Amino acid sequence: MKTRPYLWSFGLGLLALVGMLIAPYMALVYADVETQMLLAQKIMYFHVPSAFAAYAGFFLVFVFSILYLWRRDKRWDIWASCSAELGVLFCTLVLLTGPLWAKPIWGAWWVWDTRLTLTLVLWLIYVAYLMLRSYSEDPQQSAKFRAVLGIIGFLDVPLVHYAVKLWRTHHPNVVFQERMGLPPDMLTALLFCGMTFLVLFAAILIKRVSLELARDELDYLQAEIQDRKTILGQVSEE
Amino acid sequence: MPPFFRHVFAILWKDLKTEARTKERLSAMCFFAFLVLLIFNFAFRPGSTVMQSAAPGIFWISVTFAGLFGLTRSFALERQNDCLMGLLLTPADRGAIYLGKTLANLLTMIFMETLLLPLLAVFLNIALWAHLFRLLLPLFLGTLGFAAVGTLFAAMSMNTRLQEALLPMLTLPVLVPALLAGVESFQAILSGAPFSEVVPWIKLAGAFAVLFVTACLLLFDYVVEE
Repeated sequence: MKTRPYLWSFGLGLLALVGMLIAPYMALVYADVETQMLLAQKIMYFHVPSAFAAYAGFFLVFVFSILYLWRRDKRWDIWASCSAELGVLFCTLVLLTGPLWAKPIWGAWWVWDTRLTLTLVLWLIYVAYLMLRSYSEDPQQSAKFRAVLGIIGFLDVPLVHYAVKLWRTHHPNVVFQERMGLPPDMLTALLFCGMTFLVLFAAILIKRVSLELARDELDYLQAEIQDRKTILGQVSEE
Repeated sequence: MPPFFRHVFAILWKDLKTEARTKERLSAMCFFAFLVLLIFNFAFRPGSTVMQSAAPGIFWISVTFAGLFGLTRSFALERQNDCLMGLLLTPADRGAIYLGKTLANLLTMIFMETLLLPLLAVFLNIALWAHLFRLLLPLFLGTLGFAAVGTLFAAMSMNTRLQEALLPMLTLPVLVPALLAGVESFQAILSGAPFSEVVPWIKLAGAFAVLFVTACLLLFDYVVEE
């Protein structure tokens, strides 16, 4: 029973490794060079999949937070906060790879575009989530706080999206991101990279959760040992 | 009146009474908001047209900072002598406690805004009087959303190691839609835009307020329970 999460993360990790070895080939060789953006466009094969993984992470925080408040099982809290960690990690990757592409294409590192702003605000919300965790005192109470923030944060997403959209359309002098129809080879490469990133996400998540569960069990066992020691001490004194 | 609302008003009345007797939170909030307003004049060139177009932003930043300051104090009082524990032991519903505190914070903030608006008009030289009536609704909805989220997070941050210092970090990212709605509707009204341009922002502020009053009402229970 105990070895199952390790097997899962090992299997998924192996799969992610294979995928990650093929992904550069798919992105750089298999997919054609885009006619207008040239090589700068290649970063999309890592930028967009990171965004998939980040959004998956934030969605999972929401789901596990509800499960935690409903079931009061510590495991769900661990799942939620590990998802948040990974969400922030991949979101950071999105925010780093985005400007690399934007500078040559849009001529600016940052543009207050709808999607960019939404991603930035999401990043802020979940960094606050991680801060709440590191500054907490009572572990049980802070787990509830986290769950509440996880739910509030996700409820905020449609509102932020609507707000930013409304905000930017009121200022017409902005570069609009157009939904371009991707040629089939690029789409295949993108989907392949997307799958690979999601597998990588799942592998790290399971690894991270099993580590956290093991730490939790270790704490419990140490407390148990301490208890027995004190009991034994009392007995021997008598 | 159903007991739930009786409890809400009892909590609200208690908070307002404490405030009216000490006046320490309200006076500090108003003074702080005024200071922020003035600091902007020192930071940018006063009297220029830039300041006039920035007025809604300056107003909302003052309100946000002073409001956050007021929110941190809103639960600090309850902490002394374990007052919050006493409140939780009363037969009142947790939701009623939350709603009472939120309404108290809302009224405090509205009072502060009432003082701040004329000062804004004077120091930034904007014609506020003509637009005042249209400003009321978005202002109210934005403040309600702020108070709803802020009260919940204030109860949370009170129990962390950073205490009050964590409150802005939790509140500000979530508050982005409400702030945008507040600033943009203010801007549109001041510039004399047709009302149809203001309506989406009012809808947004309304949606934010309704969603978070409801969500926080349901979630407050988990925040205060032992």
